[in-house]
Amino acid sequence: MPARFKKILVANRGEIAIRVMRTCRELGLSTVAVYSEADRSALHVRQADQAFCVGPAPSRESYLNQQAILDAAKKSGADAIHPGYGFLSENASFVRACDAAGIAFVGPPASAMDSMGEKTRARSHMVKAGVPVVPGATEPFKTIDEARAFAEKVGFPVMLKAAGGGGGKGMRRVEKMADFESAWRAAKSEAMSSFGNDAVYLEKYLDQPHHVEIQVFADSSGNCIHLNERECSAQRRHQKVIEETPSPILNPELRAKMGEVAVRAAKSVGYVGAGTVEFLVDSTRSFYFLEMNTRLQVEHPVTEWVTGLDLVRWQLDVAQGGKLPFLEPLAPRGHSIEARVYAEDPAQNFMPSPGRIQYLRVPGGPNVRDDSGVFAGYEVPRFYDPMISKLSVWAPTREQAIARLERALSEYVVKGITTNLRYLTAILRHPDFVKGDYDTGFLARAHEQLLGKDDAKLTEVAMLAAAVWAQQQQEKAATKIASAASGASGSMWRHGRRR
Amino acid sequence: MKTTRWFASTRKGEEPKAIDVTPLGESRYAVTLDGVKHELESLVLPHGAVSLILDGHSYAVEFEENQDEVKVLVKGQVTRVDIADERKLRMRAATAGFSVEGKQTVTAPMPGKVVKVLVKVGDEVKEGQGIVVVEAMKMENELKAPKAGKVTEVTAVEGTAVENGAKLVVIE
Repeated sequence: MPARFKKILVANRGEIAIRVMRTCRELGLSTVAVYSEADRSALHVRQADQAFCVGPAPSRESYLNQQAILDAAKKSGADAIHPGYGFLSENASFVRACDAAGIAFVGPPASAMDSMGEKTRARSHMVKAGVPVVPGATEPFKTIDEARAFAEKVGFPVMLKAAGGGGGKGMRRVEKMADFESAWRAAKSEAMSSFGNDAVYLEKYLDQPHHVEIQVFADSSGNCIHLNERECSAQRRHQKVIEETPSPILNPELRAKMGEVAVRAAKSVGYVGAGTVEFLVDSTRSFYFLEMNTRLQVEHPVTEWVTGLDLVRWQLDVAQGGKLPFLEPLAPRGHSIEARVYAEDPAQNFMPSPGRIQYLRVPGGPNVRDDSGVFAGYEVPRFYDPMISKLSVWAPTREQAIARLERALSEYVVKGITTNLRYLTAILRHPDFVKGDYDTGFLARAHEQLLGKDDAKLTEVAMLAAAVWAQQQQEKAATKIASAASGASGSMWRHGRRR
Repeated sequence: MKTTRWFASTRKGEEPKAIDVTPLGESRYAVTLDGVKHELESLVLPHGAVSLILDGHSYAVEFEENQDEVKVLVKGQVTRVDIADERKLRMRAATAGFSVEGKQTVTAPMPGKVVKVLVKVGDEVKEGQGIVVVEAMKMENELKAPKAGKVTEVTAVEGTAVENGAKLVVIE
């Protein structure tokens, strides 16, 4: 077993850097922050015991600058690097660079990242391991007849996809055989003009599936367990907004089955550490492998709530050769929901609203957790993700958890920038969410309802409050003038102080 | 005590409502809106926080001032209130003209990068039509035409960085 870690460099910023450092502090480990020139005033710099600037504001030149980060690790004498999520967390070449430098990387080995990193490669690995994937072809078709026969086999609707690239180009959804030929031609010509390659393959089209993911954990002795699921179907443009566990659509049998498959997926690539296997679940509750995130997930707090574990602590243990403390599946205890608080304006098409936070009051009370990377007076920089905090709660039942999160959101006050706090509350109040019956199309479908109408009574209260507020400002100004006039004969210094 | 008349509106262009405010001493006021009289106590706390007791109901109110309007947060609802006294209202009436007519310049709402220019000079655009896509904070944002008209100038160049307020497109 290697020597115990004494010092950890956290190669990230914002809330996740602080999240990781909190556990380090509890474990008595020293922490090293890295920061870009735009983040000198950021909270994670103050949270750490040591801090190194790794380059200019753009991530590419700082938080993705492998050499600068390794230099900081060497200079500080850090034993390990925790990558957080995003940035270098799923970069196999960085893992190899850490290995070469003799610094532990808190995450899976580079080989496991390689296997899961590219979508088609991950897919063929999973097929080999017997993990269900969305039915489809992995190779492009030579002729339209071949493609037709395949579409017939998997069943309509199907999605034609360009083999040469993504981003929605060369993609065509086909409802029935009669539409196949024209869609085939359109997809091919679009693929040709977009990627210079007209190769097209196809997959079964899942209509508004659920996004359910399984948290897995593996140690370097070959043990692997799952820590239940997270329901992440409340997404806007593939960006998760609210996550919860347990998933309202899973029963214990399906949970056990998906958990077993997720563990098999992780084991098949020699996984070590915390990872997440993402699945799509269709209306018949069939599930299909989507991808594996080879890192700690943004929404890991909900899993921590219902398992009582500290996943960062486990990550650090496993990275030091430690074994998983138990191997039996853990039944979820109660219910947890997380809401992501963004600096954005839902009414303006979710336009990011960077700027200075003038005032901040964070919710509290029983079983409320706020993972934040900001403070009052902090300027939210425009270079990075606009998420400012993750607010999560725990309660014995889903119904109580919804009520608790709604209550906590009502206590959140952020002044100076626009946030999505009200939008989050509207989601929690939406009948489909309350029922627990929402798929990945939910937020788009409910968009108008979620923007909400103002309550007439509260509008009236606001107008009355504003009128009195204006009156009080005027009174204050008048008092100031009066006192300035009466103090005119006194000392200049006293006058200055009073102001 | 002297009564002051204030005018409050929640949306630009909407007819302001009169609110009569009479101080009763010690942060208490009599307020009248739409012929209904209320008793209101407004205790001003630091950082724009106010503890409001309106006819016996307690509200935690947060104020945020910018330029002409004040943002009022009550029970999760943010209301932008435009508040003016009689003098201010008259001055505003004199310099009015809120409607979107004539030459309109579309500017960058924040620093970022022009990802896509969707129009060219001479194009006829509809109100609300997307004209430029600007990327900021890892998000793409489509800027829309403020009015229907003809594009007379395009200064936005795809792939270039723009500062806050930079001119992008002119529509006449």
